Amino acid sequence: MLETFANLAHGFAVALSPGVLLYAFLGCLVGTLVGVLPGVGPLAGISLLLPATFGLDATRAIVMLAGIYYGAMYGGSTTSILMRIPGEAASVMTCIDGYAMARKGRAGAALAIAAVGSYIAGTASVVALMFLAPPLAHFALRFGPPEYFALLVLGLLVLAYMSTGSMLRALAMAVLGLLLGMVGIDQMSGFFRFAYGVVELGDGIGVVPVAVGLFGLSEIMLTAGAAVPQEVIKPRLRELLPSRREWREAWWPIWRGTWLGFLIGIIPGSAHIISSFVSYAVERKLSRHPEEFGKGAVAGVAGPESANNSATSGAFVPMLALGVPSGPIPAVMLAAMMVHGVSPGPLLIRQQPDLFWGFIASMYVGNVVLLILNLPLVGLFVNVLRIPYPLLYPAILTFSIIGVYAVNNSVVDVWIMLATGLLGYVLRKLDFETAPIVLGLVLAPMLELSLRQSLAMSDGHYAIFVTRPISAVLLGAALVLVLLGLRPLISRGLDWRARLALAEKGEPS
Amino acid sequence: MTVDRVAGVALGALALFVLVESRKLPLGTLHNPGPAYMPVVLALTMLGFAAALVAFGGRAPHVATVGWRDWRHTAAILGAGAFAALALERLGFRLTVALLLLVLVGVVERRHPLTAVAYAVAMALGTFFLFNTILRVPLPRGPFGL
Amino acid sequence: MMRVRVFVAVLAALLAPAALAAAQEPYPSRPITIVVPFPPGGVADLHARPLAAALEKVLKNPVAVLNKAGAAGAVGMQHVATSRPDGYTLLLALSSISIIPEADKLFGRQPAYTVDQFEPLALLSADPTILVVRSELPWKTAREFIEDARKRPGEIAFSSSGIYGTLHMAMELLSHAAGIKLRHLPTTGAGPAINALLGGHVHAMASGPAAVIAHIEAGKLRPLASWGDRRHPALPDVPTFRELGYPEAEFYIWAGVFAPRGLPPAVRARLDEALRQAVAEPEFRQAMEKLKTPIAFKQGEEFRKFFEADARRLAEGVRRVGRIEEKKEDKR
Repeated sequence: MLETFANLAHGFAVALSPGVLLYAFLGCLVGTLVGVLPGVGPLAGISLLLPATFGLDATRAIVMLAGIYYGAMYGGSTTSILMRIPGEAASVMTCIDGYAMARKGRAGAALAIAAVGSYIAGTASVVALMFLAPPLAHFALRFGPPEYFALLVLGLLVLAYMSTGSMLRALAMAVLGLLLGMVGIDQMSGFFRFAYGVVELGDGIGVVPVAVGLFGLSEIMLTAGAAVPQEVIKPRLRELLPSRREWREAWWPIWRGTWLGFLIGIIPGSAHIISSFVSYAVERKLSRHPEEFGKGAVAGVAGPESANNSATSGAFVPMLALGVPSGPIPAVMLAAMMVHGVSPGPLLIRQQPDLFWGFIASMYVGNVVLLILNLPLVGLFVNVLRIPYPLLYPAILTFSIIGVYAVNNSVVDVWIMLATGLLGYVLRKLDFETAPIVLGLVLAPMLELSLRQSLAMSDGHYAIFVTRPISAVLLGAALVLVLLGLRPLISRGLDWRARLALAEKGEPS
Repeated sequence: MTVDRVAGVALGALALFVLVESRKLPLGTLHNPGPAYMPVVLALTMLGFAAALVAFGGRAPHVATVGWRDWRHTAAILGAGAFAALALERLGFRLTVALLLLVLVGVVERRHPLTAVAYAVAMALGTFFLFNTILRVPLPRGPFGL
Repeated sequence: MMRVRVFVAVLAALLAPAALAAAQEPYPSRPITIVVPFPPGGVADLHARPLAAALEKVLKNPVAVLNKAGAAGAVGMQHVATSRPDGYTLLLALSSISIIPEADKLFGRQPAYTVDQFEPLALLSADPTILVVRSELPWKTAREFIEDARKRPGEIAFSSSGIYGTLHMAMELLSHAAGIKLRHLPTTGAGPAINALLGGHVHAMASGPAAVIAHIEAGKLRPLASWGDRRHPALPDVPTFRELGYPEAEFYIWAGVFAPRGLPPAVRARLDEALRQAVAEPEFRQAMEKLKTPIAFKQGEEFRKFFEADARRLAEGVRRVGRIEEKKEDKR
C-alpha cells in the first residue's frame, strides 16, 4: 500500500513536469474539441491524432492520447445535452434526459452535473485502477465467449427498463435494432449478409452514423421544420449552476454509475457502450420518480455520464496490467506504445514504472484539467443556444456530416446517417422510441458471435453456459430479473378479483 | 389506421423481407447455428411484435393526427444532405460544404443572399482549416484541388 | 449559338496546354496517398507511417497515409484497385490481399477486387507466424503438440483473427501438412484472439511475433515452432516447421506496397528507386526496430515470385477449408 503511494508520488513528479503537463493539457483540449464534434468519438479522435504523437517520447505520447480519450468523453456530453446529437455512441443516453433538461432551461445544470459526475467517476476509477489493476485484470481475462454471452443477455434485459412508454413499442424497436445488427460479414462462416455488394457494409452498419442520424439528424428535421419556432428558455447566469436539489438527486447516481461503469469497462470487448445504457436502466429502476425519465431527470444524466467515464478507466486495466487490448481504443494505445518501443505486457508495470505511474498520475491531472476547462465553458456553450435555430442547424448538419465521414473516410457512413435520420424522424412523429434501436444494433453482433463462439468451443453443447461458474452466475441473475419483471403481471392477474369487487362497489380501480 | 397499426405493417413487411433473403444462407442446426439462424429467429420475433402492434393498436392515435405539414422542409434538409454525400468525394470538401450551406441558408431558410454567401464561405474554409490543417484529418479534394 | 461555340473553342485552347503540361509533369508533382485498408494502430498502419515519412524525404514531395478500413481490408483494397494508375495512390497490404478474392470466389460472390488489378512494388517485412500455447499446458515441443493433436482430432482449440484470416490460414497450412484436425475459434481480430488464448479459452494460436514476445518473456506463453524458412532472430531456440519436417507449413504476415496495374514505366522506375532509398533511411530502420519487425526488402521480380508463391499456397488453403457450413451440415 505504502509502495503504491510512493510510486504514485513518483508518478505525479513525472506527470506534473512541465513537458508532460503541457501534453496532457493539449490532449484534453484537442479531445474536448474532437468530442464536441458529432459522431467523432474517442476512438476516432485517438486514431486521427495518433500519427501526430509519433515524434514524442513514449510517456508524453501516451499521456496526450489518454487526454484526448478523456476529453472526447467529456466533450461528447456537451453536444448531447445542447443539441441532442450524440458526441459518440456512448453518449446516446445523455441525449434523452440531458436535452430535455436543456429544453427546460436547465442546460447549464445538466452540463455541470455531467462534468462533475465525469470528474468524480474518472478520478474514483483511476484510484481503483491503481490499486486493483493486476487482480482485476486476471479476472477480466476469464471472460470468454460464454461469459460474454451471459453478460449481453443481461444487457438485453436492460431494454425492458429503458422504455418510458409502451413496452411493446420499445421491444419492437429493439428487435429492429437487432435486425440491423445482422448486416455484414458473418464472423463465424465468412458469408456476407444483407450487404448487396456494398463492401463498406462488411463490418456492419456502424453505430456512430446510426446514433448521429437517429438522434441528431431527426432532431434537426423535427425542429427546423416546426411551424412555430421552438422556445428554448435561455437561462440567466445565476441559473447556470445546478440547484441544491439537483445536486442531491445527482449524488447517488454518480456513485452507482462509477462502479457500474468501471466493472463493465474492465471486461475485454466493446461492452463499454452498454455501461451508459445499463446505468440509465438501473437509475430508472431505483428512482422514486421513474416517470421523470425522458423528461429531464437529473439521474438520467448523472448516472450514464459517470458510467461512461469510469468505463474508460476500466478499459485500461487489462491494457496496463497484462498488455492485452480490451477493445479498439486500448488497442490503439498499445500500438502507440509499441511504436515508441515500449513492449506492453504483464511486466509493463515493473519495466516501465515511469510510464505506468506517470500515466495514472496524468489521468488524475487530466480529470482536473477537464473539469477546469469544462465548467467555465458551460456558459459559453449555453450561449451557442442563443443563435437562431435556422442559422444554427446548417452548421450542426455540416459538422455531423464531417464527423460521420471522418471516422472511416466513408461516404457510405454519411448515407447511413441520412437514412437513419429519416427513420428517426418518422419514428418520432409516430411516437416510437429510438434508443432501443441503438442498443439492439450494438448488442446483436456481439450476442450472436459469442453464442456461436461458445458453441464452437464446446462442439455444440449448450451445457458450457452452466458448467462455467461466471456465466452460470450471470445467467442466473438474468433469470431472476426476468422473473422479477413478470411478477407484477402475475400479481395483477391475481388482483382482478379485488378490482372487480371495487368496480362493483362503483369505485374506480 | 392508427400509428401502431402502420408501424406494425411496416415492421411486418421488413420481417418477411428478412425471412425471404435469409433463404440464401445456410440455416444450420440448434447446436451449430449457421449465418441465417439469428436473422430468422429475430425476423420471427419481429413478426410476432408486428402482429401484436396491429392487433392491439386500436387505441393509439390516428395517423392523420400526426403533423406532417413540415415535410417539405424536412425533404429539403434531406435533399441537401444527399447532395453533400454525392458531392463530397467528387467536388471536394470545401466546394461541397459551401454549396450545401448556400442552399440551406440562402434557399431553404431564405436569408439574405449576402448572409448566405458569407456564412457558406466562412464555414467551408474554416472547417477545412480546422480539420485538414490543424487536426490533420485527410479531407477529399475536388477537381481544382479544392 | 455561334457565340457559345466560340467560347468553348477559346476555353479549350486555353486549357489544352495546361492539360498537356499535366500529362507530361514529372512524377511526383502532387501529394501521394498510401492507402492503409486497416484501422490506425494496426500492423499495416505501423508500417505505412514510417514509410510515408521516409518516402517524403526521398521524393521531396508530400506523402500522406489514408486509413480506409472495412471488411477485413477489402474496402481499402477495392478503393486502390479501382484508382487511376498514375502513381499517386498506393496500397500498403498484408498477406490477406490474396486471401480475400479467394474467399469471395468460394462463396460465389463478385470479388471486391482481384489480385491481377494490382502491381506488386515492394515487400517491406515478412514476419513468420509463431505457434504459441499457454505455458500451463503440457506440450513442450511442437512434436508433442502434433502427436497429441493426432490422437484427439478436433479437441485442441486455437483462436484466430477471423475466418479465412491470416492466422486461420497459418494453422490451416500446418493442419494440412501434419495431417491433424484442430478446433477453430474465430474472433474479431488479433487482439481478441490473444485475449482468448491468455484467458484460457483456447489452447493454442498462430500469432505474429511482435504481439506475443512480451508474454513469452513473462512466461505466460510458450512458443513451439515458427512458420518461417529460418529461425526468428528474437526467438533463436524456436525451430521452424521446415526443420521439423513440414515444409509446406510456411506462412508470413508480410507487408508490401502495391499500386494499381498499369503504371507508366517512368513512374514505376521512379517509385522503385524511391522505395529502395526509403527503406534504407535510418528513421525507417529505427521505426521498424522499435516494432521488433525485421526488414525483409524485396523488389521487382523477386517480390513478384514471392508474392505469387504465397498467393498460390493461400488459395489452395482457402479452397481446402471450403465453406464451413456445408462441411458441418454433411457431418450431421
